[in-house]
Amino acid sequence: MRALIEEIFSRHELLHILVVRNIKIRYKESVLGFLWSLVNPVLLIGIYALFLGILGRIEGKSFEILVTGVFVWQYVSLCLGDSAGTIVGNANLIKKSAFPRLILPFSMVLANLVNFLLSLVVVLVFVLCAGHIPGLWLWLPVMLLAHVAVCAGVSFFLAAANVYFRDVQQVTGLLTMAWFFLSPVLYSPELVMKSGLAPWLKAAFFLNPMTGILCGYRAILLGYPLPPMSDMALSLGMAALILILGTLVFQRLEKRFSDEL
Amino acid sequence: MSQAVISVEHVSKRFRLQFRGMRTLKSAAMDTLRGVWRRPDRQLWALQDVSFEVKQGECLGLIGGNGAGKSTLLALLAGTMQPTIGRTRVAGKVSSLLELGAGFHPDLTGRENIYLCGSILGLNKRQIAERFDAIVDFAGLADFIDEPVKHYSSGMYIRLGFAVAVEADPDVLLIDEVLAVGDAPFQRKCLHRMDDFRKQGKTMLIISHDLPTIQTISDRILFLDKGRILGDGAPSLIVEQYEKFWRQQNKGDLRSEWGTHAVELTGVEFLDAAGAATAAYAGGATLRARVRYRTRGRIENPVFGFSIGDVNGRLIHGSNTQIAGLRLPAIEGSGELCLRMPDLALGNGIYLFSFSVHSWDHKTNYHRIDNAFPVAIKTDRVFDGCCYLQSAWDAGSDGGVGA
Repeated sequence: MRALIEEIFSRHELLHILVVRNIKIRYKESVLGFLWSLVNPVLLIGIYALFLGILGRIEGKSFEILVTGVFVWQYVSLCLGDSAGTIVGNANLIKKSAFPRLILPFSMVLANLVNFLLSLVVVLVFVLCAGHIPGLWLWLPVMLLAHVAVCAGVSFFLAAANVYFRDVQQVTGLLTMAWFFLSPVLYSPELVMKSGLAPWLKAAFFLNPMTGILCGYRAILLGYPLPPMSDMALSLGMAALILILGTLVFQRLEKRFSDEL
Repeated sequence: MSQAVISVEHVSKRFRLQFRGMRTLKSAAMDTLRGVWRRPDRQLWALQDVSFEVKQGECLGLIGGNGAGKSTLLALLAGTMQPTIGRTRVAGKVSSLLELGAGFHPDLTGRENIYLCGSILGLNKRQIAERFDAIVDFAGLADFIDEPVKHYSSGMYIRLGFAVAVEADPDVLLIDEVLAVGDAPFQRKCLHRMDDFRKQGKTMLIISHDLPTIQTISDRILFLDKGRILGDGAPSLIVEQYEKFWRQQNKGDLRSEWGTHAVELTGVEFLDAAGAATAAYAGGATLRARVRYRTRGRIENPVFGFSIGDVNGRLIHGSNTQIAGLRLPAIEGSGELCLRMPDLALGNGIYLFSFSVHSWDHKTNYHRIDNAFPVAIKTDRVFDGCCYLQSAWDAGSDGGVGA
């Protein structure tokens, strides 16, 4: 693991070039270009707000929960969507030159992080307009790290698995949607915690790292109370675990990428 | 100076064929279910117990037919694949010309791709910036460098790829059939560049099917077949061995045969000056071929023809008895004809003879056997190309070059 980190660090210029390439290619020859990374979540929020409004479920805090949730989720959703293609789509590169393969999915995760950070500025403007004063700034780097860890860990796993089973790219859409509803993106975590669900299910809620991450972001942006530290620790621990497991699986599978592609 | 830069120790590489290409969960599940008792492992050993070393500054040529394992070997040395058994070791920075422009992204400009590709080859930004002008210059793409490479012609694409790879300044250069692509000026440029590399004492591994070229470039040649080393030694020796092997093994590759069989060509025998059977001639020697035939019934005025092609099927020379002004009377039963070619002007290599017999008006083809008779030529004459033509130089009559 340590050798891997050193190897990736020694190729940080390649990583940088690939990140820039990913950003450039995503918006190449589209009129709005980079603005799409803002337009997309805004439209998504519009759609959810419309339907939840019709259902009469928009009241009080639910709109700000929706906005913060959708922007935070957007990063995960983009990474999962891109992950399956990062190795398979670069078959030529993999077969013809030797470099740490992990750089390919990692550069994708970082390129999407750049998008996310910029979209965070928009959220900040919204939050200030809504009359909230963001606080708990020390938590922001922790949340960002955990957020990247989750995106990276799952992306590494999906990218490597897709080389062996092309079904992965078919399944990711569904998996993303299931995870979306299991995470408190559209709803507040209290909805689950105060429901009549079995206690072990409530305990498992924070095993989903996105639960803790979404709570953390809302604590920072909207001034909501942080969940109990034990719950946050559970989520953050899971985020780290996902990153480690994803990396280990990737390292195990990457040896035969050239053979399989 | 002479320590091993590349060492390959008892390397074998296995491919599992069933795993290749699109694999789905369903097939994996089915395999697992079936494989509990017996694993239907269709596997291919692309390399088997291969060992050799390459010294600093040496240029090693790799020859062998398709599927011999040459490209797999280079992929192992480039580090893109892992050996199944054994160990490879390469000292220093490797740059591979395995597929030119492989790392290019069509939507990025030439400039962006140079940075991307150079970075993949292990250069940092400063190094790329320093080499940038040289790369663009070598590729001859100054006017197009800020265009997306998807608008490039395939020739421009290849030129840029080659330029980046050679400017990466590697210690070891791996070259897979690069000489086969690109036009003649580009190929000359490549060869020239490879010569520079040699002079700098860099190590090279080259795959090529172009035997005369690889024989000139290499210091040593490795001959692979079906994943095993069949020969390792001096270029002329190994090329000769390879050609002999090729004659015995795949002489039927380009072979084709058709006709009405009213006359049948029953055999062709190549003879040397002393009348003994042979399949190898020295440059300038006289080739004699005895062509036997058998007819069904009586055939008026048949025309016998022959042609010579290279191993790629390209026609070099063809003629027949009609052109030669030999009007044969009617033939019946069995007989033979003798073809004589004095002062063979062909260059080093393998050539394939074709023979035919058809009617005087060319309307009926009795029997034709194409590319079935290989002949090896080994000449001491020094020249470029496949044929030796008489030529001489004169200093100008008005005082000459030096005046």
